[in-house]
Amino acid sequence: MAKKIPLSDLEPGMVIVKPIMMKNGMVILGEGAKLTPAWVERLQEMDLNGAYIDAPEEQKLTKEEALAQLDARFQPVDDRPYMIRLKDLLREHIEGLYEK
Amino acid sequence: MKSKTIIKVRKARIENISSLPTVPGNLKRISNIIEKPGLTLDEIGRFVASDPALASKVLKMVNSAMYGFPGRITAVSYAVMLLGLNVVKGLLLGIAVFDIMEQTMRGLWAHSVGCAVASRCIAEKKGIKDPEEFSIAGLLHDIGKAILVLEYRTEYEKAMEGAAEGKIPIFEAEKEVFSDGHAEVAMWLAEKWRFPRNLVEVIAYHHRPSLSQIAPMETAIIHVADIIVRARGIGFAGDFYVPDLNTQAFDLLGLFDVDIKEILLKIDDATDAIYDSTE
Repeated sequence: MAKKIPLSDLEPGMVIVKPIMMKNGMVILGEGAKLTPAWVERLQEMDLNGAYIDAPEEQKLTKEEALAQLDARFQPVDDRPYMIRLKDLLREHIEGLYEK
Repeated sequence: MKSKTIIKVRKARIENISSLPTVPGNLKRISNIIEKPGLTLDEIGRFVASDPALASKVLKMVNSAMYGFPGRITAVSYAVMLLGLNVVKGLLLGIAVFDIMEQTMRGLWAHSVGCAVASRCIAEKKGIKDPEEFSIAGLLHDIGKAILVLEYRTEYEKAMEGAAEGKIPIFEAEKEVFSDGHAEVAMWLAEKWRFPRNLVEVIAYHHRPSLSQIAPMETAIIHVADIIVRARGIGFAGDFYVPDLNTQAFDLLGLFDVDIKEILLKIDDATDAIYDSTE
């Protein structure tokens, strides 16, 4: 899962998941590159607003909040057969996001 | 119910979008070139290439999760050739309405991108040629909402309140306030911009897919994509509740549970990326 972090938070060993480019489009570090201490230093001197690194997925809501919002959204159509099936799929999808 | 005045949305006024004082210059410029009769791919390519800011936005969109071409596309001329006239036109409009959507209805852009990704994914599953056109239809299907808010902000807010109070979808609530809703407005614009008839129908009938005459399958795709994105709670499209699926449209597509699960993963991915890039 890609996560954008400020350059000041870069550390050696992190893996870049989106190419880092200069303003003219030239790629400096490609996808999959592992940062060395020298790269961290060099990137931090550049005028970039952050870099995408590989990080465990973080959910913005707790599982309970996400499921409560799902219930609320479906409330007017809760008894419609096709919507019951769709809601079940969404519940499974949401629960899946919180499993390790 | 107390009596209300229905606002007459005038087609001629909407079609004359370039002269609406509320419409930003970027959209006017793009609208002017897109509506030209006999516009060629070459001409539109030169138009994009002559504007570095626009060119860089086009490349950013082409290289985003919405399209998913293998490898990175760095030349406008190549992007234009790869995408074809209708998709490039749609892409330019998408870029122009992004700003309007952000100003008029926060979350409409995320909703639209979600629909673009879901529509394309379903189109691919159905083996339809030119699935990129579905990205465009998904991206632009709610353009009418942005235009209505620009032109009639107070009245549109009334429609949104009506939807919230009555727990009804926004396209129903619009009828209490306007003579024509966002789907009609978007249809007028799609015709004016000379999109092919099937795309016009898709946009016009995304809430009433059974009305589509020449593109029932395509219209069903956008209809179902729209509902899946709302069901997932991505973005905001003017109302808080998921509208009911048109069961005929859903059956026409014959999607399996695994298909829907795959669509959900794709729209999560694509819309996470938007939040990242706009923070």
